[in-house]
Amino acid sequence: MIRANFKRDTDGNIDAFELTGHADAGPYGSDIVCAAVSAVSIGTVNGIESLAGFEPEVQSDTVNGGHLTLKITEDALSGEQANIAGILLENLLLELQSIQEQYGQYLSVKTQQTA
Amino acid sequence: MLEMNLQFFSHHKGGGSTANGRNSAGRRLGAKVADGQTAKAGNIIYRQRGTKIHPGQNVGRGGDDTLFALADGVVRFERLGKKKTMVSVYPAEAAK
Repeated sequence: MIRANFKRDTDGNIDAFELTGHADAGPYGSDIVCAAVSAVSIGTVNGIESLAGFEPEVQSDTVNGGHLTLKITEDALSGEQANIAGILLENLLLELQSIQEQYGQYLSVKTQQTA
Repeated sequence: MLEMNLQFFSHHKGGGSTANGRNSAGRRLGAKVADGQTAKAGNIIYRQRGTKIHPGQNVGRGGDDTLFALADGVVRFERLGKKKTMVSVYPAEAAK
C-alpha cells in the first residue's frame, strides 16, 4: 500500500508531503495504481520547479522507488510562486484522494496540520 | 526535475530492495566572496552548516550560520587562534 502524508503549515498551506510504499496492485509494468500515483506525484514535483520557478527540497529513492518526499523550505518565495506551488500541491492531494476513493486498498492519504 | 517513472511506486522486478538509494540535491555551501574581493553590506560571504568559518569584524552570522557583510569593504579570511578561521570585512580605506 502506498501511504501519502501531507503536512499543512500554521496557515493551512501544504508545505510538505511524503509518499512511501508500493501499490502492489499488479505486476511490475502493469500496476495501474502505481502508475497513476507516480504520474501525479512526479508531475507535481516537476511542475513546481518549472511553473513556480524554484526548487523545493526533494528526496526520492531512485534505486528502489517507493519513497518520495517534498518540502518547501524556501522562505523568500514571491506571492505568485507560493500561490502556484500551493495550487499544484492542493491539486495533487485532490488527485490522490480521488484515486483512494476507487483504489482504497492500494493507497492511503492523510493530512496533518502543524499547530 | 524527476524522471517520469510510471512504475516508481511499484515493486521492482524480482530481487530484494535496499534501504539506501535516497538522495537530496547538493546545498551549494562554501565561499560566495573570495579573500581580497570587495563586498557590500548585506552580501552573503559564506554559506555553511555550523561555524566552519567564524564571523570577524563587520561580519554577521545568520540563523543558518550564513556569514554576511555588515559594512562595505574588502573581505579577508584570517586565522582565529590555532585551528580556527574567521572572515572579516575591512572598509576600503583601512584595507589599503
